[in-house]
Amino acid sequence: MPEILALLIAPDWVRSLTGERPPNVFWAEYIVWPLIQIVIVLFVVLTVVAYLVYFERKISAFIQARLGPMRVGPWGILQPAADGLKLLLKEDIIPIKADKLVFSIAPIISVVSTLVVLAVIPWGAAWATIANVNIGLLFVLAVSSVSVLGLVLAGWSSNSKYSLLGALRSSAQMVSYEVGMGLSIIGALIFARTLSLSGIVEAQRADGLPYFLFQPLGFLIYLISALGETNRAPFDLPEAESELVAGYHTEYSGFRWALFFMAEYTAMLVTSAVAVTVFLGGWYFPGLDWIKSNWGPNIYVLLSVAAFAGKIAVLIYAYMWFRWTWPRYRYDQLMELGWKWLIPAGLANVVLTGVWYVLALPEAQGGVFGFVKQTAGRYVPTGYGKIYFILTGFIITIPLSWALLATINRRSRDFNLHDQRQLQIKLRSERIKRNEPVAE
Amino acid sequence: MAAVTTTGQKRSIGQIIKRLLLLDLIEGLFLTFKYNVRALYEPRDGGNPNQAIYTEQYPLERPRVSERFRGAPRLNLDPENGSTLCIACDLCALACPVDCIEVGSIRREVRDGEKVNKKKVLTTFIFDTSRCMFCNLCSEACPTDCLELTQSFELAVYHRSGFRWDREMLEKGINYVRYTK
Repeated sequence: MPEILALLIAPDWVRSLTGERPPNVFWAEYIVWPLIQIVIVLFVVLTVVAYLVYFERKISAFIQARLGPMRVGPWGILQPAADGLKLLLKEDIIPIKADKLVFSIAPIISVVSTLVVLAVIPWGAAWATIANVNIGLLFVLAVSSVSVLGLVLAGWSSNSKYSLLGALRSSAQMVSYEVGMGLSIIGALIFARTLSLSGIVEAQRADGLPYFLFQPLGFLIYLISALGETNRAPFDLPEAESELVAGYHTEYSGFRWALFFMAEYTAMLVTSAVAVTVFLGGWYFPGLDWIKSNWGPNIYVLLSVAAFAGKIAVLIYAYMWFRWTWPRYRYDQLMELGWKWLIPAGLANVVLTGVWYVLALPEAQGGVFGFVKQTAGRYVPTGYGKIYFILTGFIITIPLSWALLATINRRSRDFNLHDQRQLQIKLRSERIKRNEPVAE
Repeated sequence: MAAVTTTGQKRSIGQIIKRLLLLDLIEGLFLTFKYNVRALYEPRDGGNPNQAIYTEQYPLERPRVSERFRGAPRLNLDPENGSTLCIACDLCALACPVDCIEVGSIRREVRDGEKVNKKKVLTTFIFDTSRCMFCNLCSEACPTDCLELTQSFELAVYHRSGFRWDREMLEKGINYVRYTK
């Protein structure tokens, strides 16, 4: 029973609202408080998503010496509202030859699969978490990959070549980068020893350091895969406007198009949230415990939510920064990066991290150095252990896997059209010298 | 011709390190970040290419027109008594390569103290801005500095007849729609 009580998170006023007293708190814990949380999270996230579009436009403008939206409200601050209104009032167009049912279901699948993930993300400490699922990370990966289905259905049902090609590209790309993303997380899971997202945050709190220090390669792979997974530049091939008009949502307009847009930006938010949870310490920051004991539990939770939001904001700024700096990858380069670099590097990271971790175990568990001590039911690295993991991560894992992959990929590194053409010209000239027949 | 480095050729150590550490990508990131930060704090007066934001929000911010810019025509008045400086000599109309100026005048007896002079007096002045190419030859021909091309450039009108500026428009200038917020 104490274990169950430790999982209960609803604040006291919710319990007094339902008139329940522990341990019988079914309505307060599972119905009332989650519903309040869901309403708040959906409202905040959808507003934030609308404003992400605004910030994207502003950041792109600033990078390109422009001003961006300026006319709706001061500094264009009401632009998202105007955009939303415009999209709602637009004519709802479905192409005559489109599959109407699938065409209208596809954007809903995309949006729902990204919004469902919001339920398990640990937005903050204590009562700020909606659902602490013990397979949270698996749930996130599984559900968010359903959004590929939405894109494929959208491309297929539109009955347009641009949509179909965009959908094909996006499905291939997202499936490829999903693998790298999954592999990059495993290294951090070796340290956390749990799949629960709140558990991973607690583990980083107990270990004292965020896991991107122990897992620099994993973090790098995760960031790159997340860019590919959310179809953001430099991997925005599914909607490469110079080639495919707008990719899978070419035929969409009005509110259905807005749903796709919402799905894209929510996916960005979700992948950043997972990156923050797994690698950047989640809602925890040093000094939070002091705040809890001195300023009270409510300020503690609010500050933890603010820390989480701040970390997400940094990552999302980086996404936008990358988008407006780097040119788009070519399709073969994209697949090469995914399959020849990220996935093998993820595998190498898992193996190497496992080796470093086993070596660090105490001798009784079959290790060598004894840098990891078992305290309070979980393995925590000691002071030397932290230095050891950071050094192995930065100095050995990254250069070693890089050198390994560079050696393996040496022969096939460049798909170099110039070289190929030169080779053909050379062969042809040799054939002419030998007076052999050559094709005109 | 610049040498093309292909996979077949050997790269120098510097090039290898540059490729491994993705220095070019990071350099680009720093450049765009610099622009972004400058855009946030730098003062902005619109249309200045040396500032982080070049944008000029046109109806709100007036463009920087060059000193020698030749725009809308104007007939200058005598600042002392407010009468026109034009002596109806027709030199501007003669100078105009596209014949867009029509000067109308009458001979009238003008009393100047005791004497009565017969004098040419300006009645109408029609300037067709749709045909004008703003070459400034009329202004240079004017002996009394009456006709002048100003820096005003907003010449758009809703109808073709609006391009024919009469004497009143030329002396007072046209009423523009002034956009505020």
